[in-house]
Amino acid sequence: MTNYKIIFTGPVGAGKTTAISSISDQSPVSTDKIATDMTRNVKKTTTVACDYGTVRLNGKDRLHLYGTPGQQRFDFMWDILTNGGIGLVLLLDNTRPDPFQDMEFFLGQFSDFINQTQIAIGITQMDLNSTPCLDDYYKHLHKLALTPPIFEVDARKRHDVTLLIKALLFSLDPGLAENHD
Amino acid sequence: MENQSKPVRIAALGMEQRTYSTLQLFFHGHCKDDYVLVEEKSADISIIDMDGFQAYRMLEEHKKHYPNQPSILISLSDSEALDAVYVRKPIQLEALSSALSRAKEKLQQPFTITTPPAQVSNSVLGIPPVLENIVHHAQHVTAPVGKRTSGSKQFNQYRYSADSLSDDAELELLNIKSTARFNPHNPIQTAKFQYQPQQTLQGYFQQAYFTALKTQKNVVLKGPWRPITILYKSKQLRVEKNYRHLYALSGMFFEKSEVSITILDKSIDCEPTLHETVLSVEPFLWKLSIRTSRGCVPTDTNFTAPIKLVRWPNFTRTIVTPHALRIAALWAKQPTSLIDTATYLAIPLQYVFLFYNAAFSLNYVASEASTKSHPVAQQPSAKRHKYRKILQDLLERLRNN
Repeated sequence: MTNYKIIFTGPVGAGKTTAISSISDQSPVSTDKIATDMTRNVKKTTTVACDYGTVRLNGKDRLHLYGTPGQQRFDFMWDILTNGGIGLVLLLDNTRPDPFQDMEFFLGQFSDFINQTQIAIGITQMDLNSTPCLDDYYKHLHKLALTPPIFEVDARKRHDVTLLIKALLFSLDPGLAENHD
Repeated sequence: MENQSKPVRIAALGMEQRTYSTLQLFFHGHCKDDYVLVEEKSADISIIDMDGFQAYRMLEEHKKHYPNQPSILISLSDSEALDAVYVRKPIQLEALSSALSRAKEKLQQPFTITTPPAQVSNSVLGIPPVLENIVHHAQHVTAPVGKRTSGSKQFNQYRYSADSLSDDAELELLNIKSTARFNPHNPIQTAKFQYQPQQTLQGYFQQAYFTALKTQKNVVLKGPWRPITILYKSKQLRVEKNYRHLYALSGMFFEKSEVSITILDKSIDCEPTLHETVLSVEPFLWKLSIRTSRGCVPTDTNFTAPIKLVRWPNFTRTIVTPHALRIAALWAKQPTSLIDTATYLAIPLQYVFLFYNAAFSLNYVASEASTKSHPVAQQPSAKRHKYRKILQDLLERLRNN
């Protein structure tokens, strides 16, 4: 049996746990604990180790979905989690005070991993806060010479999360066959 | 004299709702109600969409039962058939007006063919099964949403409505031009796959939208439709709640004198009224350009120049055209010409055209300065991923779930 990984990262409250839940074969293993720090202003519980879900593939192969904890103090986990990963999903919360700063922070933290693989970015909470819009994110990314897929995402919707992952897969290999995407 | 004031009754057969709505608008506005849409059995003239499913069969049946009824055939192709007036798509108002006048002249001429009594009886007392489907379609498109009746498979083919279709089904019904015989080096061929959006709603909307972005001010687009306000900051449009009929205008040309673009002062309130709604520009323009182009690309498109992706469309909120994700991923990774894209991805060129045109309308793609073709198969960046089988399995899994 061979194991492959996709990593979900992003700031606290961006929807990493929810996104993994929406596509995992089984209820994901979560390490959510009651938030006692500043996170409690955002949500009641927060991930302290990682979230984990799986998608069974053909044969015995399995895809593992790992969600990193959002707080920066757990960043020692990030290198461990990305080891052997095939791609990165970055979720950003559009209601945060400075989502561009969040984006640049995570792109910097995972730059080596992104250079070796690919990244797809999902912007959540756009229904609550329509600005900045996706064009604004691209403007920031063009400074970094990056053109990753950036989609508006509702992490609760499987359709949205699935499309984001599909875009990640085609970014890794546009030659993948699909009758109709 | 009395007949002159009476509207000419027109049956619209095999049409999508948007084309049907366009005719309604045209008859009511431009023709000042000189024409009215009715069911086939009570019509004086028929207008038949020859690009629909089983259109020729429908025409044959129609001629069989209404041999003396003048017909106007509308189609994307140039071919002539039967004793009919032809109007080529995209329909221009002058061409349709002229066709209607010619059909009216025919109507006033004495009939040269005598309809057998039995057929007259059938057509009046009972509608043949095939025509019954068409008549249901005409009823459907005029009925309020939610009043559909179930029917046979054949019936379903004629009662399509853009509002009720999934994206995939909608694409199937757009009659996207086949590129099977396309030759990029033949100017006559390439011209057939190019269109000029400038004088369509798409073109005017684009002009208004980019004016708003450039001036950093809200803009109002006025024409033979209710005003559309473009909100530059949020990249949204304020439009009447029943905005879907705007898509029906995609196949029509409008004179510049009919359209105006007004830049609004920043102090003007742009909050929507009770009868309006606010939409994102991207999905609206994306869809409008697909409907306007029907698989063509703008004139002056270089088919062999590499195309790069400036940004990805927001695919979770727009129509995902066939193979769009693959094309976008390729162009983000490696600028590639339209022709090479189809070759490398082994997909029909029409899907490349479809995606390119929609993305081009929003400035999401750009042509590289070089006009040299880049054979992507030789580019290292487009090489096969080491885990392709796993990625393929995952893709399959995501599609099936």
